Amino acid sequence: MDGPLPLALVVASLLFAAVVLVYVVLDRTPDWGLLGFAAVIEVATLVLIVVAAVQVGGADLSGPALVTFFGYLVAGLVLLPMGFAWSLAERSRGATAVLLIAGLAQAFIVVRALAVWRS
Amino acid sequence: MSRAATSSSTSSGLGRALVAVYGVFALAATARSLVQLLTKADEAPLAYALSAVAALVYVAATLGLAEVGPDPRRLAWAAVVFELVGVLTVGTLTVLDPELFPDATVWSAYGAGYGWLPLVLPFAGIAWLWHTRARD
Repeated sequence: MDGPLPLALVVASLLFAAVVLVYVVLDRTPDWGLLGFAAVIEVATLVLIVVAAVQVGGADLSGPALVTFFGYLVAGLVLLPMGFAWSLAERSRGATAVLLIAGLAQAFIVVRALAVWRS
Repeated sequence: MSRAATSSSTSSGLGRALVAVYGVFALAATARSLVQLLTKADEAPLAYALSAVAALVYVAATLGLAEVGPDPRRLAWAAVVFELVGVLTVGTLTVLDPELFPDATVWSAYGAGYGWLPLVLPFAGIAWLWHTRARD
């Protein structure tokens, strides 16, 4: 969790949300570009979990904090796929906006995980 | 020939985004509640019991608005009204007496810790259910 990866992930998630906002405003439906962007975030989250699992031995986290920390990261792994599943079932502005919410929640989750890690 | 009053879908269009917000809250509240109950249930039983209730309400609202189950509209109404009463009651109690709950819940101080979303959500939910209600 040390290093630039968590911050990069937060920035990427917020950027993803911003791109989705443009899609919503223009009333464009999600395309492969958006899916690819989400896939990159997904892979980065997976790498982050592995990095955290490796570094966790050196971190001073209590039991509950440890559960909370990995809880956040696992949530970060399922959030975007669930968002896409719910979003792609319908073609409407509201359905596209689901991805906006998923992107914001993804950024929030990584920020929360970082806060637990540093506590 | 009179046509039966039909309600429009609560999980379509704008409702889809609303369900997503409720879903995030359901996920977050359930996970948080499980961690609290499994790792430190004896520290603040009342606050953690309340967290569990809030989690159930968000799950019920999500399922209801997503039109899962036999009578989703009734489920959604019950959940969002309970949610509104809950956030107003707990919010008022925690503002009057901050010592009442040793550990914060999602509804403490009207959900200020969660960007006031817990206070806004029930109003959005009720407005949406009203907007999509059955009309002749």
